[in-house]
Amino acid sequence: MLVLENIKYSKNSNNIINGISMKFEEGKIYGIVGNNGVGKSTIGYIIMGLSDYKVNDGRIILDNEDITQMPVNERAKKGIALLWQEPARFEGITVKNYLTLNKKIPVQDVEEALSLVNLEPDKYLNRFVDKKLSGGERKKVELASCILLKPKYLIMDEPDSGIDIMSLDMIIKIVDYLKKRGTGVIVITHRKEIAIQSEYSYLICAGKVFLEGTSDKIVKYYEKTCDTCGHINYAEEN
Amino acid sequence: MDIVKGYEEEFNQLVDIYEKNTDDKSLRNSAVATIIVSGNKVVGLNSVKGMHVSSKVRNDGLIMIDVEIEDNTIIPIPVHLCTGFLKKRGEQILKFNYIIGDNVKVKFKSHCILTKVEKLHHYMESDMYIGKNSHVVYEDEHFHDERGGVFVETITKMKIDENGYFASKFYETKTRVGRINVVMDIELKNNAKANLESKIYGKEDDIIDIKEIMRLNGENSSGIATSTVFATDSTKAHVVNEAYGNAPYARGHIECNEIVKGSDVSVSTIPVLKVNNEKAELTHEASVGRIKQDQLETLMSKGLTEDEAAEFIVNGLLS
Repeated sequence: MLVLENIKYSKNSNNIINGISMKFEEGKIYGIVGNNGVGKSTIGYIIMGLSDYKVNDGRIILDNEDITQMPVNERAKKGIALLWQEPARFEGITVKNYLTLNKKIPVQDVEEALSLVNLEPDKYLNRFVDKKLSGGERKKVELASCILLKPKYLIMDEPDSGIDIMSLDMIIKIVDYLKKRGTGVIVITHRKEIAIQSEYSYLICAGKVFLEGTSDKIVKYYEKTCDTCGHINYAEEN
Repeated sequence: MDIVKGYEEEFNQLVDIYEKNTDDKSLRNSAVATIIVSGNKVVGLNSVKGMHVSSKVRNDGLIMIDVEIEDNTIIPIPVHLCTGFLKKRGEQILKFNYIIGDNVKVKFKSHCILTKVEKLHHYMESDMYIGKNSHVVYEDEHFHDERGGVFVETITKMKIDENGYFASKFYETKTRVGRINVVMDIELKNNAKANLESKIYGKEDDIIDIKEIMRLNGENSSGIATSTVFATDSTKAHVVNEAYGNAPYARGHIECNEIVKGSDVSVSTIPVLKVNNEKAELTHEASVGRIKQDQLETLMSKGLTEDEAAEFIVNGLLS
């Protein structure tokens, strides 16, 4: 189980996350829902342990181990992975090298991961993960990379952003595929079609869990209230 | 292959070092055009149809090599230019003069084998004329001694005639640089194109100077010059990219990326863009700094340590 206990995080004297507690189990899908700027992505970065996202207070517990001070690469080795909203580009590195990270991963596994994200292996394995890939292609390569990592928990930060509308079904299928494989999927989104797939969701407002429960309940509330709410969020960096 | 009598051993030593570093067996292949220089002597020479090579050594030790390729010649296998130095100390001065005819297609693979020297000044000056509609690729790879006593200077002046194309790759990424000074000055006529790329990995107290100049003198001529330097330890690197848009619809782009690792590194880049025709267009991009944090963290979020991530990124950049 992955547990966030009363997490607080501030930057430049702004309180971004104000005492958040959450629980995630392997093999289940979770939604982190909310408007832009409420702190959703920040929660994802805090779980992953990125260098600018060290918490001021609270604990992160993975399978009864306190990982709050653990660096990002150690957390990755423990089974946490992140699907970046806007993945970085790398010159001179092929899709094949990027997906394997020079480790001995069977070619058929790499090809299968690419096929799952609707990229033809023959066309993409030797392309570079650089500026020449479109935003959608880059995102799909990142998704294939996350599939190959076989994480216990995958944080998907706005998985549909930059991807064409036709690929939305693919994202939904991948989330389901990961769940069946035993991965706990944490989907950060403000898109109803994706949020509704979750079994349990957290609605975030101003860096706090405003509401939690079944996704049906959360999505209905979000649609009715948050879309029209004039509440100003200062959670994200201004 | 025409191995000069009395120099068989030097020839074999150089070829052995080259093969060990590259796995390329072309230098002993009689179907491959080759020019092999050791010290201040030409020790091996092989030509192919449509290509003429001659060499002479002046009394002061200067090696002069003329390469001429006839019009309408297509050389299917790359021409190898191998310059090596097997003594521990000294100076090697070479002057190449290339005349590439019209409608020629050729690729040169140049390698400098300087792996055994303690202290050497290697100076190479080249003049190249590329004829109309010709397509020339020049790849230059260096293998130096790890003690850093090699000083390489290469000065190239080039004219690319109408519809000509030239691409160069200068790589010094596998062994220690020592000190390097690369100057490339290119003049492009109507519809001519050039693509220059240099990648250098500096370590310890290496000194790197790169100067690339593109004179876009012809209408619709275009050129791209990209320099990538990875500077570590106390490396000093200075890169100057110049582009001159002197004709209508001339287009040039220069790009310099200098990545640093280490607090004693000193790097700089100066882009110079000068437009002398209102219809010409020049652009540049430059970056100097450490490896981007988002790149590092992307890889670290997949389990790599910071050092492993940096190595992975740099290997890609310098590949």
